[in-house]
Amino acid sequence: MAALQRVAQSSVSTTASSYGSCKGGGGVLSPSAAEMAVPDRFPAGLRVLVVDDDTTCLRILELMLLRCLYQVTICSEATVALNLLRERKDCFDVVLSDVHMPDMDGFKLLEHIGLEMDLPVIMMSADGRTSVVMRGIRHGACDFLIKPVREAELKNIWQHVVRKKWNGSKELEHSGSLEDNDPHKRGNNDIEYTSSVNEGTEVSLKGQKKRINAKEDDDGDTENDDMSTSKKPRVVWSVELHQQFVTAVNQLGLDKAVPKRILEMMNVPGLTRENVASHLQKFRLYLKRLNGVAQQQSGIANAFCGPADSNGKLGSLSRFDFPALAASGQIPPQTLAALQAELLGQPAGNLMPATDQPALLHASLQGAKRPPVEHGVPFVQPFIKSQSNVSKQFPQPVISAEDVSPGFGQWRSNNRSTVAPSNYHGGSSALNSNLLMGVVQQEQRQHDRTQQQSALIEPCRSFNVQPSCLVVPSQSSTGFQAGNSPASFNQSISFNKSTVIDYSLLSDQSNNSLNIGHIPTGNLKITGTLGGYSAPGSISPTSCIVNADNNSTSYQNSTATFSDSRELPGVLHNTSNSQGFYVDKSGEMLDQGPLRNLGFVGKETCIPSRFAVDDFESQMSNLNPGRIQVENSGALVKQEPIVDYVDNEKLGIPILQQYSSSDFMSPFTD
Amino acid sequence: MEVGQMQRQWVDYTKSLFLEGFLDGQFLQLQQLQDESNPDFVVEVVSLFFEDSEKLLNDLTRALEQPTVDFKRVDAHVHQFKGSSSSIGAQRVKNACIAFRNFCEEKNTEGCVRCVQQVKHEYYLVKSKLETLFAMEQQIMAAGGSIPMLELNF
Repeated sequence: MAALQRVAQSSVSTTASSYGSCKGGGGVLSPSAAEMAVPDRFPAGLRVLVVDDDTTCLRILELMLLRCLYQVTICSEATVALNLLRERKDCFDVVLSDVHMPDMDGFKLLEHIGLEMDLPVIMMSADGRTSVVMRGIRHGACDFLIKPVREAELKNIWQHVVRKKWNGSKELEHSGSLEDNDPHKRGNNDIEYTSSVNEGTEVSLKGQKKRINAKEDDDGDTENDDMSTSKKPRVVWSVELHQQFVTAVNQLGLDKAVPKRILEMMNVPGLTRENVASHLQKFRLYLKRLNGVAQQQSGIANAFCGPADSNGKLGSLSRFDFPALAASGQIPPQTLAALQAELLGQPAGNLMPATDQPALLHASLQGAKRPPVEHGVPFVQPFIKSQSNVSKQFPQPVISAEDVSPGFGQWRSNNRSTVAPSNYHGGSSALNSNLLMGVVQQEQRQHDRTQQQSALIEPCRSFNVQPSCLVVPSQSSTGFQAGNSPASFNQSISFNKSTVIDYSLLSDQSNNSLNIGHIPTGNLKITGTLGGYSAPGSISPTSCIVNADNNSTSYQNSTATFSDSRELPGVLHNTSNSQGFYVDKSGEMLDQGPLRNLGFVGKETCIPSRFAVDDFESQMSNLNPGRIQVENSGALVKQEPIVDYVDNEKLGIPILQQYSSSDFMSPFTD
Repeated sequence: MEVGQMQRQWVDYTKSLFLEGFLDGQFLQLQQLQDESNPDFVVEVVSLFFEDSEKLLNDLTRALEQPTVDFKRVDAHVHQFKGSSSSIGAQRVKNACIAFRNFCEEKNTEGCVRCVQQVKHEYYLVKSKLETLFAMEQQIMAAGGSIPMLELNF
């Protein structure tokens, strides 16, 4: 038999049928698709397509799903499944697919589905290694289940459908304004670090947090949240914008700075009070962290990869050797500027003339677009009473900017760079040493921990736009990012309505496998096929595009932030499920192999102090990846993706990367 | 033998399988999935497993007999076997697969050959145990009884 295909109706109730009508045809038994959905029976009747070459698993899953009152179609061949989906686009709400299949790699199928149909796809595998899960996330899986799958885990898969739909509509509504997800993120301390990975994934982070917490119960789905839907256009806090913000806050006094007044003082058209409020929250948190981290700095900074790490690839940095930067907490502005110029390949100097500090930061962020400012970045001037921070350098911006990829404009760069610096916190010197490399930052921190630095770092923050994870992966990888960068940038651009436009731009320019190019068309098609639940009418092509693009982009890029955030839950989940350390039920040890390859975890991993709590630090030399991960799952997880990414890139400094990426995220992304 | 006695024997036997590690919680899940609308679910699924496994083990053995062993292929088979055995709760088989995969990664042919023997051994062991169990179930049903619900405290 070519493929085992069957549609099984829930034995419990015939009314619990599809939510939408399924017109399809051939070769597959149709359930009584004509039956209309009974909305209040949701999630009963969810139409699930299961793809797995293992007939045993297929049968088991089928029955489990039936017991969940879902409408199940099983298929043992990926190609057949894809055709089925193509023929009957509106007939399925969610797809469950195995990773290892003979005729087509599960990840490829995942990509196809994401591109063409934009359905939520949940991956499954007996292989629960982080690297595999990571790949799943990168390719766009909403979730990743480790076999053997239990019924309880299947019960909640409906959430992905709902989330996707809601995010799709929300994107429409909120296009252009910053989604205030901070409260969600803030709520969970554990996730603080992890969720700081990427602002762009706020929504997913929120979900992830919940997941992580609930994980122990083994109830909800595993790790990954619905990444694909997390992107929303949001305000990008550019350097200038942030400067204005900081100025306003300074004038008002941190204690008295309320969003409303700040907004008034900033007087920026289009900025809403909510935008300011969330930014303020982040800022406050950042300051808090600066304080808290300060104490830990000393020990850790040294532990981190030394100068060499600074070469870590996050972004183009790898190319440049910043030992000096790394080593010294401070880099003279001129040097920094020169470095930046070098990094960016442009003569330093034509930075935005207008602002100094913002310009500096911003410029570096810009990367190709704008050569780094060579002004000494008195970045934090507005804040910092003392000018000790003068020597700020922002190597980071350079890094990110660089990779930012051509032509995408500042925003993108911003994203990147922001990420970097943002993790930095630390005293004024921190700002200076704001190299992307976390290491450097660490050292900086030691120097002075004035909170004022935060101001400096703030500007960098504007990364939030979507998988700004850009910082990490996009840049470093040669092949990887080229194509992807645009994608990622694209997303970052989402901060305004030009998202759509950007996308199309991207698609033209991008020829990478990201399928960005597909998006425009794909999305349009998708609109109709968003699933029975979605209200197709309400979803404009724009949103579809954003969604899809985001999905694919983020996956492709496996940007740190994005993937990080997504991964976190997953990893944590695995860990907790498996009685710690990635040991699955059978007691299998998490493959050290992959971890080792990643260069991450375990042994010499340098964990940014941010994540590392004291005990974490002590574990740094711990060779047991599992341990580390378990204990600092949050941090590790976060890093893992990066590392993984790095590994792919064959970068030699995985640690650093991890550090930086996670570090970047932490201060504000949270 | 009267039904009650048969049922008790069945319960004891099942428990022993769990205690000895042949089966794990996943098998319980399967049993819980079985109900009036799917009265033979466990037997059905396990039979599917047996069928797939025979093929898989043959492929595995053959792959390892090649002059140059394609470890990727071997690993793929083992992975598949691990997945299906874990799905039905055949714990020892699964564990043997896990060990097997390590050798595959190391590209250790000798180790792999030993592993495949081990996996086969475990597989046939659990196969015979399960077949015994199902035979007991059939006897109970034939005598008009029903299969008891297991309550195992793990």
